[in-house]
Amino acid sequence: MLVVNGLKADVGGKEILRGLNLEVNPGEVHAIMGPNGSGKSTFAHVLSGREGYTVTAGSATFEGQDLLALEPEERARLGLFLAFQYPVELPGVNNTYFLKAALNSIRKSRGEHELDAVSFLRLIKDKLKILHLDDSLLKRAVNAGFSGGEKKRNEIFQMALLEPKLAILDETDSGLDIDALRVVADGVNALRSPQRSMIVVTHYQRLLDYIQPDVVHVLSKGRIIRSGGKELALELEEKGYGWIDAEGQAA
Amino acid sequence: MTDLTANGFGSWLVDSVSHADWLDDQRRLSRAQIGEQGIPTSKQEDWRYTSLKGLLEQCFTPVDETITALAPDDLEDILIPGLDSHRIVLVNGRYAPDLSMPGEIPKGVRFDSLRTLLDTDPDAVRDHLNRPLSALRAGVEDEPQPLFLALNTAGFDDGLVVRLERAAMLERPIELIHLSVGMDEPRVAQPRHLIILGEGAQAILIERYVSLGDSIYCTNAVLDISLGCDAILRHERIQMESANAFHLTGLYLNQDAGSHYQGVNIGLGARWSRTDLVTDFRGEHARCELQGLYLAGDRQFMDYHLDVTHSVPRCTSRENFKGILYGRGRAVFDGNVVVARHAQKSDAAMSNRNLMLSESAEVDTKPQLDIHADDVKCSHGTTVGQLEPEMLFYLRSRGISAALARRMLCLGFAGEIIQTLSSELLREHVSGQVGQRLESAPLD
Amino acid sequence: MTSAPAVDDIVRSEYEHGFTTEIASETFPPGLDDGVVRAISRRKGEPEFMTEWRLKAYRHWLTMTEPNWAAVAYPKIDFQSISYFSAPKRPEDMPKSLDEIDPVLLETYQKLGIPLEEQKALAGIAVDAVFDSVSVATTFRKSLAEAGVIFCSISEAVHDYPDLIKQYLGSVVPHTDNYYAGLNAAVFSDGTFVYVPKGVRCPMELSTYFRINARNTGQFERTLIVAEAGSYVSYLEGCTAPQRDENQLHAAVVELIVMEDAEIKYSTVQNWYPGDAQGKGGIYNFVTKRGDCRGARSKISWTQVETGSAITWKYPSCLLRGEGSVGEFYSVAVTKGRQQADTGTKMIHIGKDTRSTIVSKGISANQGRQTYRGLVRIGQRADGARNHTQCDSLLIGDCCTANTVPYIEVRNPSANMEHEATTSKISDDQLFYCRSRGLTAEDAVSMIVNGFCKEVFNELPMEFAVEAQKLLSISLEGAVG
Repeated sequence: MLVVNGLKADVGGKEILRGLNLEVNPGEVHAIMGPNGSGKSTFAHVLSGREGYTVTAGSATFEGQDLLALEPEERARLGLFLAFQYPVELPGVNNTYFLKAALNSIRKSRGEHELDAVSFLRLIKDKLKILHLDDSLLKRAVNAGFSGGEKKRNEIFQMALLEPKLAILDETDSGLDIDALRVVADGVNALRSPQRSMIVVTHYQRLLDYIQPDVVHVLSKGRIIRSGGKELALELEEKGYGWIDAEGQAA
Repeated sequence: MTDLTANGFGSWLVDSVSHADWLDDQRRLSRAQIGEQGIPTSKQEDWRYTSLKGLLEQCFTPVDETITALAPDDLEDILIPGLDSHRIVLVNGRYAPDLSMPGEIPKGVRFDSLRTLLDTDPDAVRDHLNRPLSALRAGVEDEPQPLFLALNTAGFDDGLVVRLERAAMLERPIELIHLSVGMDEPRVAQPRHLIILGEGAQAILIERYVSLGDSIYCTNAVLDISLGCDAILRHERIQMESANAFHLTGLYLNQDAGSHYQGVNIGLGARWSRTDLVTDFRGEHARCELQGLYLAGDRQFMDYHLDVTHSVPRCTSRENFKGILYGRGRAVFDGNVVVARHAQKSDAAMSNRNLMLSESAEVDTKPQLDIHADDVKCSHGTTVGQLEPEMLFYLRSRGISAALARRMLCLGFAGEIIQTLSSELLREHVSGQVGQRLESAPLD
Repeated sequence: MTSAPAVDDIVRSEYEHGFTTEIASETFPPGLDDGVVRAISRRKGEPEFMTEWRLKAYRHWLTMTEPNWAAVAYPKIDFQSISYFSAPKRPEDMPKSLDEIDPVLLETYQKLGIPLEEQKALAGIAVDAVFDSVSVATTFRKSLAEAGVIFCSISEAVHDYPDLIKQYLGSVVPHTDNYYAGLNAAVFSDGTFVYVPKGVRCPMELSTYFRINARNTGQFERTLIVAEAGSYVSYLEGCTAPQRDENQLHAAVVELIVMEDAEIKYSTVQNWYPGDAQGKGGIYNFVTKRGDCRGARSKISWTQVETGSAITWKYPSCLLRGEGSVGEFYSVAVTKGRQQADTGTKMIHIGKDTRSTIVSKGISANQGRQTYRGLVRIGQRADGARNHTQCDSLLIGDCCTANTVPYIEVRNPSANMEHEATTSKISDDQLFYCRSRGLTAEDAVSMIVNGFCKEVFNELPMEFAVEAQKLLSISLEGAVG
């Protein structure tokens, strides 16, 4: 589904990704862990097409298509979804309106008919339940004045609605208390399916207690230096990132 | 020479002693500019709400050479007990060595009387006195100086020159006391101060305007402040001129990269006052804070004009002025923040809040934003209102008299600004003064 | 890797809805003097009092000096080179069918969802038998007449209701008010008169009718609306579609008079030709609009969406005289290309417990220059007066300008006044967020801008709120090319 090969990327002339390789198959959940500054968020941003990054080498293909040549909205329409670490506030932009516009643009590109107001509302109410979100959320402006937890839940709610093929969760656990973390994780788990893959980017092992990954990767200095099962995450937690860096240096 | 009497300010100037050719030229030019521009009227945006009528009714003449003899004891009521400072006293605009106590001055720091410098080494201040308006104020090319700056340039003959070399640091504050002493006829003093901080230098300047007696006089002070890279200046101004005085200040501030200016302006005295705070950033990451508190009591008029220009990127400015008006008090707040093209990442927030406590009070406020760059964070907020009845009621229900409750709430309102003063002694002094004035004020 | 288009790319290209100028027939030679003023009055068959009224205004105008506004720049107008009267065009001078109309203009009409027949009317096509404006007008007039509402052109009103005209015309905006109001009083071409009798709620929005019929009112339009005690009327002026117009200078006057417990809701959508990329040929829109809340608890609500014209200069104002009267001003103004707008409001609180609300949203793109200029004056007798002002500017691109100039004058201790202003831009973060959810950059900009303007659109009559949103999207998308 996603094949990343030798990916190198710069931010402001500084190389952050230094030859990253990754392959994600349908239905798999991959966790990417690493210390601050290892390039986790950069990787998520490069995949989703955020400005400010220059890819200097390597490739990323999504279902055979060259992902890096596409505009962000084209990637979204192909089925790529980024749950933001810091969801952006859009004052005055009504949530329902935003969601409907996003959903219909994606449906349209898939050759599906656009949903009318009634069926859209029905759909949206179903999805709200999964995230234990109140439907007053629909009347509010996108993320404006939301608490940290609400913002993160809203991200997963959007994911539930837009039904991506590959979801990238960028530090979704950061800033969440344990209850909010559980709700978000439950939402994510409810969305797991044999067709849907996920990349869970996180700094802490604890999220992986709730979202069980198939593969765990350790990112250090812009490269994946180790991959393994979920036991790798536990080992990492125990020994700390220093251990990895030491190994990285040795390697 | 241009006839200055035409616009009513002729009596302000006498032929001054010649110190240097460049200064004579500068003074001649200023006189010409005064003659050319005439008297400002309400048609001019800068004078829209401010009438010069009262000022022009007086025939002010410059203070003469003889300084009223004062003994240090005469200062007793004026000094703030316990305030440990480098004290410089000006009497009627002239440096009074007998009353001053500069104390021990650390290395790299110099205090001089401007007059002494002009007599002995005028070229030492040439760069600061002999420059066009565009060096003082952004966005002007060959414009004439504003009237009162021109008057000061043509007429100043003393002032304080503070120079801090690179990395010099003053631990104790400089306390600059402007003392006005009663005279037989209306006099005008026009001191010119130069405050020059080199790279990384740090100082605190407390500037106080006080008087003995309540005669009619006018102060037209100009402060020219230059902050080098990363320099930090705290500047606290407390204006308590006599109830019959006219007061004008023009403060021109230039800030190099990374410098930080923290200004607090407390206006309590004078029957008519006008303060122009003009700031300009010359380098990135500089920060300027202008706090203000004005108390315009019965028949008092107070006018604050702020011109804050973000001419380079990534600078921050904060303007926060609060006013309390009672009796027939009047206040004007005209704040103008300009963000020039290309001054991206500018961050400016201006606020002006007013408490109106009486039927005949009046406030005119005009917080203006003029933005020519898109990636900026700028805002302003203004309010005019009264004390909250619920708060008054709450205090009274606890047994506090209505008058005291009002005073407490007013002091609470003023407290936000008073708290920004650097020393506890100064905070107490100002709180006491504000409290006193409110006590004698009919607050209904 | 592709780079996302930056916000300023999205609004880069020029306005595409320009149109050519045609020669109108039966036009006075350029110039203005006593004779021309008399001739205008004569051509309109006005009674003596009206001729005198115009002459008085003209003579006073001669003593006035043209204003020199600091925040707008344009070449000096030669008032002697303007023709002050042109008769309505004859059918043979008008385009014959939509085929003769600029396709871009038609495309805009379609995007706005304007019915075909209306498109023809707007494009200035001679109305054919299929589109019977007379019968439409009759239907409207009948139901208005049943309610007792007078709704006609000012010219008709001068003949049919001279007493009302004598009583109210110029009573809110006297000819001495300002240079352009003086000029308008002397030479006004035509306009609208509305009179709503006591206790009557006008049975319809005075909008659709107006949009079809009130064309060719000329460059010096005059509107007078009187709402008697307890009445209500909602009036919509202008049109979301770009309208053909030959006149460069527009100096209109609008006067509103509201009695006890009455309300006038006055909405404007202005989308005149802004000029080409160099700013040439656009309309100068210098308008004086003022409402007088004479009665207790009376209310005036101004809502405006200003997207057109090369220069817009207008401050719809309220004199809040009646106790408890209410003034509102909701504005969206867009300046792009080389457009300049200097707009805002004046809220003059005279009576007790008067309230006013100001919500101004300015959007400036390309080299657009925009100034909000507002006055809130709370007089000595305005006990308990309240004002809330919110002024927000949205900047798109680094060559545009937003200037906020509020004047606040408070002379009463029981007044409460709050003013807030912010300046922001559409951040690249916001754009990216929307695009990562599948929206195009254009859609994202339009969505964010519409969100920014929402408070104002909420105040427009429903159908126009929808059109105004579309208009805003088209304005910014139109610039995308």
